[in-house]
Amino acid sequence: MPITFKDVFFTHDPNTPLAANALKGVNFEIEDGSFFAIVGKTGCGKSTLIQHINALLTPMSGEIRVGEFVNHPVKKKRQLKKVPELRREVGVVFQFPEYQLFEETVEKDVAFAPKNFGLKEKEALDEAHKALSLVDLDESFYKRSPFDLSGGEKRRVAIAGVLAFKPKVLVIDEPTAGLDPVGAEEMMSLFQRIHDEGTTIILVTHDMDIVLKHADKVAVMDDGKCVGVYDPKELFKEDISSYSLDDPLVYGFAKRVKQKGLDLDVSSIKDVDSLADAIIASKGGIL
Amino acid sequence: MNFSLGRYIPYESIIHKIDPRAKIVGIIALMVCIFLPMRSWTMTATSLGLSTILVIILLACTRTGIHNILGSLKSMWFMVIMLLLVYTLMPYNSLPNIPVDDNLGVAWNLNGWTVYWGSFAAAGTILMRLVLMISITVVLTASTKPLDLTYAFEWYLTPLKVIHFPAHEVAMTISIALRFIPTLMDDTKRIMKAQESRGVDFSHGGLGKKIRALSSLIVPLFVSAFSRSEELANAMECRGYDPKAKRTRYRILRWKWFDWVFLILLLAILALYIYVCVSGFDPYNFFFGLTLQ
Repeated sequence: MPITFKDVFFTHDPNTPLAANALKGVNFEIEDGSFFAIVGKTGCGKSTLIQHINALLTPMSGEIRVGEFVNHPVKKKRQLKKVPELRREVGVVFQFPEYQLFEETVEKDVAFAPKNFGLKEKEALDEAHKALSLVDLDESFYKRSPFDLSGGEKRRVAIAGVLAFKPKVLVIDEPTAGLDPVGAEEMMSLFQRIHDEGTTIILVTHDMDIVLKHADKVAVMDDGKCVGVYDPKELFKEDISSYSLDDPLVYGFAKRVKQKGLDLDVSSIKDVDSLADAIIASKGGIL
Repeated sequence: MNFSLGRYIPYESIIHKIDPRAKIVGIIALMVCIFLPMRSWTMTATSLGLSTILVIILLACTRTGIHNILGSLKSMWFMVIMLLLVYTLMPYNSLPNIPVDDNLGVAWNLNGWTVYWGSFAAAGTILMRLVLMISITVVLTASTKPLDLTYAFEWYLTPLKVIHFPAHEVAMTISIALRFIPTLMDDTKRIMKAQESRGVDFSHGGLGKKIRALSSLIVPLFVSAFSRSEELANAMECRGYDPKAKRTRYRILRWKWFDWVFLILLLAILALYIYVCVSGFDPYNFFFGLTLQ
């Protein structure tokens, strides 16, 4: 489902001294089936933005179109129609999703969302088991309490809880925060797999290496506005430090090598492997 | 759900500047005023009316919108109906706390089921008192920083230290509890959003569905509250917190002249109310010779 933001404005706690303008006219489009990254410094409105996609927040003005669904300004949220249908299509994994666990067993917790969306007990459990195997948790976890698991396992259970209802669009906020490097890598390859199976992925992250490696498009947010939508490689060619963004490690390394005289094809670099390939290619294929 | 009610709102009003110690006593005085039983319905109506005006002035000073207060009443409609039912169905004057005034006359009489207008007046009185109570507490919490409030509590409890009452510990406990209200509110918002994304509907659905929806909110809330308290205890211990240690303050409460004015004004109002309550003084009769019965 394509997603369009059109002149979206949003203010937290309007008409109080605590009022804060979080979004100040956001315009961009997310194509169907893309792996879309949203980057920007802390407090630039990324988290507020993604809550508009599944109508947890409604804009003060402007509109967000998700397929057929239109999220537009309303007085009371219940005036919006078809919100349950929308939420079934758009799954949101928040930052530190492990706090949303509450059931006695892992499988029940994962089956919670499918059941809310109208599946029967048995079907919901089937979906839960499929989702759990997707996040590499085997049968031994099914009957355990989610509160006895380790931090990384809890997070995978929570993510399975969203995958279980098979959303067509998956919105993920900082999935790798607080994970060890191996865990982070596994997490990202999981989302890559889900994307390859046809799900649109919208990823909020601070890790530019992830953006470079996985995303096909990246939106840069600054002070409540979308500064632009780029191809990741194009973005990192520019000077992005003014948005408090840093070059990805591999890209920075390649730039430095190029400065020191090695003629490198920077545009093909996505991760460590392609960096190595580029270095070998610049040497004429022989070391 | 309205989360703004009861939060500190940083304005620069006169009420904000009053010493929290004066504010606590003044507000308790005002609450007593509201709950003093009057002899007749005319005096009950008059006293509640005056209190309402006073409370509205206070609310305006702290800039809490009255619609906020009324909004919080929406959830009380069930109680209002119950009150009305109890007062109209119960036999006359069997309710001890608020005497039903029969001077207002009989509303209807159906085969021995006599309902007095006084019953409605009594139910209305209770409702009015509740609204005023809520408003007054909102005035206090909206205009006083939680920390100042606990300093004031501690100041009042200090004399009890003579009999080994743990004044500082109690004040610390209260201040931690107050400090964590907004944090828990934020947690609640966060968890609600996460569960709403998983298809939970907190506002619609039958009782069973609602209980399930609530348990998906309350369980994670407890888990996070417990983990927070553990972290807080560890952090306090790491910084060498000792409740028995002598400590100095960064902010010191200073009593100023307008604290006296505020306090004396409210105590005078309380004295007046008590006098009217005890003596059964009826200004309508005394000044205008009216007998409103």
